[in-house]
Amino acid sequence: QRAGKMAAPMELFCWSGGWGLPSVDLDSLAVLTYARFTGAPLKVHKITNPWQSPSGTLPALRTSHGEVISVPHKIITHLRKEKYNADYDLSARQGADTLAFMSLLEEKLLPVLIHTFWVDTKNYVEVTRKWYAEATPFPLNFFLPGRMQRRFVERLQLLCGEHRPENEEELEKELYHEARECLTLLSQRLGSQKFFFGDAPASLDAFVFGYLALLLQAKLPSGKLQAHLRGLQNLCAYCTHILSLYFPWDGAEVPPPRPTTAGPDTEEEPNRRRNQILSVLAGLAAMVGYALLSGIVSIQRATPARATSTRSLSMAEEDEE
Amino acid sequence: AAEPWPENATLYQQLKGEQILLSDNAASLAVQAFLQMCNLPIKVVCRANAEYMSPSGKVPFIHVGNQVVSELGPIVQFVKAKGHSLSDGLDEVQKAEMKAYMELVNNMLLTAELYLQWCDEATVGEITHARYGSPYPWPLNHILAYQKQWEVKRKMKAIGWGNKTLDQVLEDVDQCCQALSQRLGTQPYFFN
Repeated sequence: QRAGKMAAPMELFCWSGGWGLPSVDLDSLAVLTYARFTGAPLKVHKITNPWQSPSGTLPALRTSHGEVISVPHKIITHLRKEKYNADYDLSARQGADTLAFMSLLEEKLLPVLIHTFWVDTKNYVEVTRKWYAEATPFPLNFFLPGRMQRRFVERLQLLCGEHRPENEEELEKELYHEARECLTLLSQRLGSQKFFFGDAPASLDAFVFGYLALLLQAKLPSGKLQAHLRGLQNLCAYCTHILSLYFPWDGAEVPPPRPTTAGPDTEEEPNRRRNQILSVLAGLAAMVGYALLSGIVSIQRATPARATSTRSLSMAEEDEE
Repeated sequence: AAEPWPENATLYQQLKGEQILLSDNAASLAVQAFLQMCNLPIKVVCRANAEYMSPSGKVPFIHVGNQVVSELGPIVQFVKAKGHSLSDGLDEVQKAEMKAYMELVNNMLLTAELYLQWCDEATVGEITHARYGSPYPWPLNHILAYQKQWEVKRKMKAIGWGNKTLDQVLEDVDQCCQALSQRLGTQPYFFN
């Protein structure tokens, strides 16, 4: 009985899926993939409202002791402590390689990923903002995508250093050039193996998959990096392999219970109607409130103080006239 | 065709004795070591405003012929274009690993050094502020130091290091050093 009480399941809150992926956010995707690799018994909450998460950001892990962790690396460390360790069989040298390649990903691929999804205007308007605006509930959908974009743009500027972009295009070219090089390096390191360190997936695979899957699967109108990535056959096969092996139902185009890509219209219908009614009511309330407060309309049943103020107002108006 | 390396190639960095900080000194040493390993002569010149002279704002930078190149990455490429390269004997996988480990050092050690220099109050008060502003008159020395500190703190926050305690940073450094130690093993150099 006591054991049942102590072992509350770990809960993971992450961004929900889209574009054929289990999650549209890089960190959420990486953490989710790692959890699938290790078979950790997580209760996964796929939500679209970061305010519903215990830490206010996504992804977030609530441990069995009620503690909340929101930094992806720390989430993975915690899972490792709970004996869900995908890096158990790695030699010390491979562990060192993992650290090195994660740094490589963060320095070379992350800026470009941010740029592709949040800074490139076409992509942002047609893909990213569209998804976030459709997925997040009212009224978050008005300001959340914009706020996220500002935060990402700031992060990108600080990441790229004080590179005094005399020419934004040149900076872009350099970024993409380094990213292409990084992808080629990853492809060379992977070679013809199934995973980066042999036949069993490790934490590095979770992160690499996160980056590659987002770049490959999202239908980007200006996908310069996508084209290069498609040319690296082994990386594409690697992605599809992991997707089909660990996310068989999320990888499908339209998962039946929760349509995110094909069924936003039908799901939006009740919401849209409700939003329309709410906005009409809000408008009416505002107009009536203004009318009452400014004395255009006076209520007979009001207290004497209110009645005298409205009378005095109307007298003032008469005086002015 | 490889252009000859001029005799008067110079490397610019901040004043060694009073001004230069740990992270910049490390970067400068890296470039000097690289050029020495390539057997290319270089003269080191110290200037108080080296940071502002540099085209990208970072030190060190080299002045070769009529070109100015800053930071280790571009310098390596520049030297390669002139026909000198240290990584010719590496195969593709090793090159990938080399790049990855370079990024590891950059990502973890450099960031940790920046954190220590600019976000740890004790160090900032005792060493960094005094050194960074030393060539300038009052009140410029304070203003510039605070400005740089604010910049670095912003960057730390953006990459998620803003909330790290000193112990966590030291832990990361330890992890990084362990990784490097593992990779080096008992060899004299990382890749042979």
